[in-house]
Amino acid sequence: MQAQKLEVAIDSIRVRFGSQALTRAAELQPPQPWMSGTPVDHLTGIGGLPRGRLSLFTGSGTSGKLTLALALLASATREFAHAVVIDGGGFDPWTLTSFSPEPGALTIVRAPAPEIAGEAAATLARAGVGFLLLMSEIPEHWLGPLESGANRSGTVVVGVIETPSRALAHASSFSLGFTRSEWVWERGQLVGLRALARCVKNRVAPPVGETELEICYRLGAQSVKEASLWGPHAEGMGGVEPCASAVV
Amino acid sequence: MRVCCGLIGHFELARRPDLYGTPVIVGRWDEHVVAASEEAQASGVLPGMALRQAEHLCPQATFVLPDEEAAARIRELVSAALYDLAPVVEVRDEGIAWLDLSGVMNPGQSIRAARHRLLKAIGREPRLGLAPGPFSARLAAARARPGRLLRVADAREFLAPLPSRELPLDVEQRERLDLLGLRTLGAVAAIGPRELESQLGRDGRHAVLLARGFEPDPLEAWRPPLFTSAHRQFGEPVEDREALLFVARALCSDLADELGLRGAGAKYLRVRLVLESTESEQRESLVRHPLSSTAELFGLVGSWIKEWQPRAPIAELWIELPVLEAAGRRQLRLWAGGDGSSEEVIAALERIQERFGHDVVWKPKLA
Repeated sequence: MQAQKLEVAIDSIRVRFGSQALTRAAELQPPQPWMSGTPVDHLTGIGGLPRGRLSLFTGSGTSGKLTLALALLASATREFAHAVVIDGGGFDPWTLTSFSPEPGALTIVRAPAPEIAGEAAATLARAGVGFLLLMSEIPEHWLGPLESGANRSGTVVVGVIETPSRALAHASSFSLGFTRSEWVWERGQLVGLRALARCVKNRVAPPVGETELEICYRLGAQSVKEASLWGPHAEGMGGVEPCASAVV
Repeated sequence: MRVCCGLIGHFELARRPDLYGTPVIVGRWDEHVVAASEEAQASGVLPGMALRQAEHLCPQATFVLPDEEAAARIRELVSAALYDLAPVVEVRDEGIAWLDLSGVMNPGQSIRAARHRLLKAIGREPRLGLAPGPFSARLAAARARPGRLLRVADAREFLAPLPSRELPLDVEQRERLDLLGLRTLGAVAAIGPRELESQLGRDGRHAVLLARGFEPDPLEAWRPPLFTSAHRQFGEPVEDREALLFVARALCSDLADELGLRGAGAKYLRVRLVLESTESEQRESLVRHPLSSTAELFGLVGSWIKEWQPRAPIAELWIELPVLEAAGRRQLRLWAGGDGSSEEVIAALERIQERFGHDVVWKPKLA
């Protein structure tokens, strides 16, 4: 009798608010990966960045997180009809050129205030944009609409934030912390850096360890190389596809 | 014409699904019974009788005060739920839903869907009738078992043995029919319309046409609401912009709740300020992407109010939504997963430009 009443209540909610308003845990689909072709795919534990979830790249300046995000953005412009950057100020699209992006798919939303960034991100995620790169903080009250919008449409949302707020960190499903381990010098010239990318949060799979990335600063087809890796998935890291990098 | 009728009980009763299966009487003290559950009707309680009399007949019943507004909301919900099943849908507070299935490709599928949706909306199996018109379909439904459909091919033949009290006549007219010996619809159908008109007036003629299965009453099609508004009158004229924004947000919230209830979105927005001098100022805009949430509505309304320079203190604030997107479509698009299309994204970008200026969105030309 109780089960029948529960069924009726669930059905009423679905009739009233829509079929997706209430979902049983058993009916939930596992997060679908978007294979970006970067070493990050192996750190998520599902073979790619989770669609419909918020991924965060954090760490201090010059730790390589933006370079990796640009590589992801360029890859997204080739794969999706729309890749959007929500820019809080300071994003230079020409840094993207050496990653060979598809310019027709790229749109930049200049958001001088966090409120604009939040509303734009939530609106675009709900509309079903393929890839969303957040370059600034989002106000806490926009995180819910952003999450639910992305969840419904399957948008890949990546945030590049030096020190995220507690709310943003809590809202993210996957978080990578970047630390520069050393500069790379060649013939007395600074040519890049080595950075440690460590998975600090993972809601989509068991937390995987960390990897070291070598990020080259020169123009041309240099690569973000994976130098070494520690963690439970270390044995699966043999054939990493390199991706292009750019001068930052 | 093929009409399907679903009987689900008065919507006043549907407000209290926890009392299903028990005798319930809805009405105000010293007034008449508005609705009575089947269990109460079994004790002789009928809608329209004095509440005191109903209490004598069924003292064990639960007495509930009517709430016309809540019942009307349920009626709107049921109408919206059935809207896409037939070209003409009529729902009444008494818990009667009619669907005119003329021209529907697969009427059986519509009837099954109607049964399913009524069950989900009300929580009880509807009784269903299918007949050539609304009157015969309602009587057929009343004789069907819950969750079952009673089909009527020939309305006159079906109606003939039924009692004449089923006709929509008042007590006095029914008594006169009884005195005339017209106790069945077949007997009423047998006499001429003019003869009964001379006894009962125009209602007599109407009754004969109903009894003969001519179905003189067309259905009144429910249409999704196309206009809604909210307003606030200030006791003292307001000059403070923050106060105005506060009230505007509350009004947007009320409108968003209403739109959510109807599954609709606003395609046109108008804000009107009635000034102390009784003059008014207004601003309006067509929005490409329909607005439905508080944030969306207040986003636009708030941006207007922030830069508005009214000539005098404001006595009244109106927010009007004169063009709504039809029910059904909006909700489907809101909740369908993975439905993002290029058109939707472009519309969303245009809306961001409408809200924050053209320069906010930029498509770089990378050489």
